[in-house]
Amino acid sequence: MGYIEFHGVTKRYANGYEALRDVSVEFAAGSMTFLTGHSGAGKSTFLRLLLRMEDATRGQILVNGVNVTQLKSSRLPYYRRHIGAVFQDHHLLAGRSVFDNVATPLRVIGMPEKDIGRRVRAALTRVGLLAKERLLPLHLSTGEQQRVGIARAVVNRPNILLADEPTGNLDPDLSRDIMSLFEQFNQIGTTVIVASHDRELIQSSGRRIIELAAGRVVADSGPGQVAEVTMPTSPSMDSLAQEAAGG
Amino acid sequence: MARGSEDPFPIALERGPRSWARDHLRVLREALHYVSERFSASLLVWLLVGIALALPAGLYLLEKNLVDMSAAWDGRPGLSVYMNLEVQSEAVENLATRLRSESGVATVVTTLPDQALEEFQTHTGLGDALDMLSGNPLPASIRVTLDADASPADLDRIAASIADQSDIHEVVVEKTWLARVRDISSVVSRLSLVLAILFGVGAVLVTASSVRLAIEARLEELRVQKLVGATNAQIRRPFLYFGAIYGAGGALVALMLISTTLLVIETPLVSLFSSYGSDLELIGFDPAFLLVVLLVGTLLGVCGAVLSAGQRVFELEIH
Repeated sequence: MGYIEFHGVTKRYANGYEALRDVSVEFAAGSMTFLTGHSGAGKSTFLRLLLRMEDATRGQILVNGVNVTQLKSSRLPYYRRHIGAVFQDHHLLAGRSVFDNVATPLRVIGMPEKDIGRRVRAALTRVGLLAKERLLPLHLSTGEQQRVGIARAVVNRPNILLADEPTGNLDPDLSRDIMSLFEQFNQIGTTVIVASHDRELIQSSGRRIIELAAGRVVADSGPGQVAEVTMPTSPSMDSLAQEAAGG
Repeated sequence: MARGSEDPFPIALERGPRSWARDHLRVLREALHYVSERFSASLLVWLLVGIALALPAGLYLLEKNLVDMSAAWDGRPGLSVYMNLEVQSEAVENLATRLRSESGVATVVTTLPDQALEEFQTHTGLGDALDMLSGNPLPASIRVTLDADASPADLDRIAASIADQSDIHEVVVEKTWLARVRDISSVVSRLSLVLAILFGVGAVLVTASSVRLAIEARLEELRVQKLVGATNAQIRRPFLYFGAIYGAGGALVALMLISTTLLVIETPLVSLFSSYGSDLELIGFDPAFLLVVLLVGTLLGVCGAVLSAGQRVFELEIH
């Protein structure tokens, strides 16, 4: 059984367009996987469904045994706290400093400010931006902004890290740096799924690659490397599982 | 193996009342910062809410003082009983005793014909003219004053209870001005209620639209918060504080407007009251009134914020 499982997942929009068609795929805990395919293949929809930013039209998505497609909306925030998300356009808050941007997930969970400071600085150190914590995102390069987005995604130590075209605007050197960061987080047990159409970068990684075309899985290179870790089940994920089981 | 021992981010998911209180404190700080950053726009909202609150609150004070004045002035509700000329003083005293036993009666004062004549001579200076008359033309009378909270119906009841007395020439019920004051205070009371509702709705709408603007200005931030796991309550929270700040600030403005108005009208009011031989003593503008206005303003502000933020946050999509 995988840590993340898609079972016959279809996403059809109101205009009839099917972004995903009967997709069934599993991801092991601690794995790192690339989703690839042309623009419109369904990569972003795949990630959005996993994050429950959208609802699947049909099928089931299980995360650690929890059917997230049936999670009540009141429980969704707690589910999302276990997922870090990185986007091509960063989704940074322009009026907030680098520090405040990265601190956002920690403030949401009500962490004391002194702990927030420690955790944010650790995350910024990891992405090499500690010296720029007081700057606004506007004053950073595109690559640096992406790294702020990554720091924000991982600062809460999520079980799952999703990245949607994280190197889309970056030159090859910066892209490799970003990928290197994802690999570092994967090595400490985070399950990482990266959607990217940069085939060269993906193929050089030696990781599992799932190719989507017109909403279907058309190629899957297999399990690939999996970090040798055991995924913990945090108390809140336990309660989500109990709730999904009707407990 | 548990998750990487080299992981720089230890698990510390916070829950419980301390975390909740900490979040409220942080959000309040941020809300105050947001409002102070947009001081001129906030001032406009405070003025609008303040004016909306000042009118009904001011009318409430007016009504309270009218009721107080009607109770305190000598013109307290009462009636005068004029006896027939030939009535003996014993009959007058008997009737006075009977009137004293009626409920709602505060004082009963009898004036016998000789006393009435003496007072007339003293106050009018027409003593010489009266000396020319063969007898005393003034009747005995009884002045009855009712309790301050007596109603015009009480006056009618007491007057009716002695109507069958053959010794009585006339009963004059002095309720005209009392009824007017009561009618005025009733009008003011109802007017202040209607205005309180109308202007209260106005204050709610002003706050709601201001909060709506704040929400629209922070949509991207709200989406990010939703993305990283903020609950709807957490997303709504800053806006409830905005509403409370707008409402409380508006209430302060209202109190300033009322106190300024009182200062402005104090001099002519003192002059008016002294002309009636009374000292001006405005009541109602006390700490309890200030607290109630503040609480009502804050509550209306929060209502506006709930109205605006509730639906918008619920609808909010992450893009």
